[in-house]
Amino acid sequence: MRILESIPSRYDRGIRILTLGKLDEVYDRLTSHIKKGQRVLDVGCGTGALALRAAKKGAKVKGIDINSRMLEIAERKAKELNLNENTEFIEMGVAELGEEKDESYDVVMSGLCFSELSDDELEFTLKEIRRILRNGGMLLVADEVVPESNVKRIVSWIVRFPFVLIAYILTQTTTKPVRNLKEKIERAGFKIELARWNKLGNFVEILARKAEQEGKYG
Amino acid sequence: MAKKAKPEKAKKGISKIYDFGYLRYIFINIIETLLRMFPLLCKTGLIKIGNPDRTSPVFLTCNYHLTVERVKRALRGMDCYLLVANSRGINVWCASTGGHLTNHDVISVLKTSGIEDLVDHRNVILPQLAATGVESKVIKEKTGWNVIWGPVYSEDIPAFIENKLKKTPEMREVKFPLLQRIEMAIAWAFPISILSALIMIPLWPEMIFPTAFTIWSLSFFIFLTFPLYSRWLSSEGRRIGFIFFDFGKGGFQLILWGIVMLCLIIYSLLAGLTLEFVLRWAVLSFIIVLILSMDLMGSTPLYKSGLHKDRFLEVFLDVERCRGVALCEQVCPRNCYRVNRELHTTTIVRAEKCVRCGACIVQCPFDALYFKSPEDEIITPEIVRRFKLNLMGKRVIKIE
Repeated sequence: MRILESIPSRYDRGIRILTLGKLDEVYDRLTSHIKKGQRVLDVGCGTGALALRAAKKGAKVKGIDINSRMLEIAERKAKELNLNENTEFIEMGVAELGEEKDESYDVVMSGLCFSELSDDELEFTLKEIRRILRNGGMLLVADEVVPESNVKRIVSWIVRFPFVLIAYILTQTTTKPVRNLKEKIERAGFKIELARWNKLGNFVEILARKAEQEGKYG
Repeated sequence: MAKKAKPEKAKKGISKIYDFGYLRYIFINIIETLLRMFPLLCKTGLIKIGNPDRTSPVFLTCNYHLTVERVKRALRGMDCYLLVANSRGINVWCASTGGHLTNHDVISVLKTSGIEDLVDHRNVILPQLAATGVESKVIKEKTGWNVIWGPVYSEDIPAFIENKLKKTPEMREVKFPLLQRIEMAIAWAFPISILSALIMIPLWPEMIFPTAFTIWSLSFFIFLTFPLYSRWLSSEGRRIGFIFFDFGKGGFQLILWGIVMLCLIIYSLLAGLTLEFVLRWAVLSFIIVLILSMDLMGSTPLYKSGLHKDRFLEVFLDVERCRGVALCEQVCPRNCYRVNRELHTTTIVRAEKCVRCGACIVQCPFDALYFKSPEDEIITPEIVRRFKLNLMGKRVIKIE
């Protein structure tokens, strides 16, 4: 059985931009909260869409991802933009966040990464992010979510279906929109300051802060 | 839902529930054999089998649904933990060789599933075929877990446990027995017959069933008689093909089909037959050519696909670096290695059986093994570890 030996490198997330279209706008808005000199971690940075935006604002950014090829593209882009002094890209999965020191970041951000994680992984990741953020540090998230209302859930499913099918046929990858992302982030000990859904309710931008005291279940 | 209830009940040996579980298992096997060519995902994470305690063994497998079902079946009656790592719904060997079951996926399930709080030991048993993609050295460094390479087939797990985690050469070798050949015949015939039925609906509806029948019988014939002709299979020459289909040396089958088509057109011109007639026979004969051109060698675990460029690579052993730790012997699915335990020396005794899976190269802790191409190009362990094979059997090294 050597049928599915591999998907070629075109595995880029480009396919998912199809489903959003407005990703650039969303990322610009998210990174507008970042200030010069901040220490920033980009979890699941891919080809560096968020990380490079943050670096342009003068932050010191570390991008982590498990796909070494995407990281090479990110590194190359950083070099082209003369941002390589402020950026560092490392092959590392969320499960390896344990290597990061406590309270060593001002901002942790993540775009289209949580939807690739299992529930266990997401819970672990949020716990680790809380640990490595300084008190009052910011968590910025942009990701696909399951809409909260039933009607939107059905509409979103119908709209998404052709893209899911195309993405599956081309790359055999599929995304798993996150259920109750806002609640999960709150439960992990963050205070939501801003949550903004798109019209279909299947994409959310979240700005949260590490709460001073332990989370409700934390 | 049935996950939790089943092992307990099975243990009590209540026959009715046992039978129901078995029926469900058979049903899943049939459906998923038909759909074998497509990835089928299941949930990743931790599964408890029986009543495990803090010393129970920990197994790990991929998240291809059929594999998880088969492993659970093989572990029935034991008390242990099963970790399901994310392989994107692809089976262990393909996922590991193609870069879909990686170190990160194994680290992730070890760290996030909560298994570290449940057992006192740090030994995880991985399927041997994952050795093309998961590096035991990296897992140990990053998580402290020791990787033990289990048998190739899950049904050997009980014997492997009984044998105190030692594998016999039989447990290490991939085979292509009758049952697996039948599975492959079905996996081929089903999607192709569905596809050709769809084409035949508007074109030639009377031929839907005869075509399907031809496809299924050819498919079964090819795989059932495999042992009779396998010794003559060869991957010499430049072949033309695409992923699942191998059209032979220089596209021989396609050329043959072209000639038949030409004769058909000439004949119908002379005999005054319609375009529809030509089109119908063209499609029908192409479907037959297609099934006869399946990438047979690549569909077996015994050969490297004739389309893969790396089929002519050879594994070389750097005797200076080798310390005889025998990891290569542990992970080779074709039993190519023999290690002398006293002298700590390794020899490649069955090089002709090698399928270039690269597991030995990936695992060797001293980088003593490497690939060499017929043009004397060296493919280092670093490259084999980092760049995985795509569907056409190429290592994608360049990035765009």
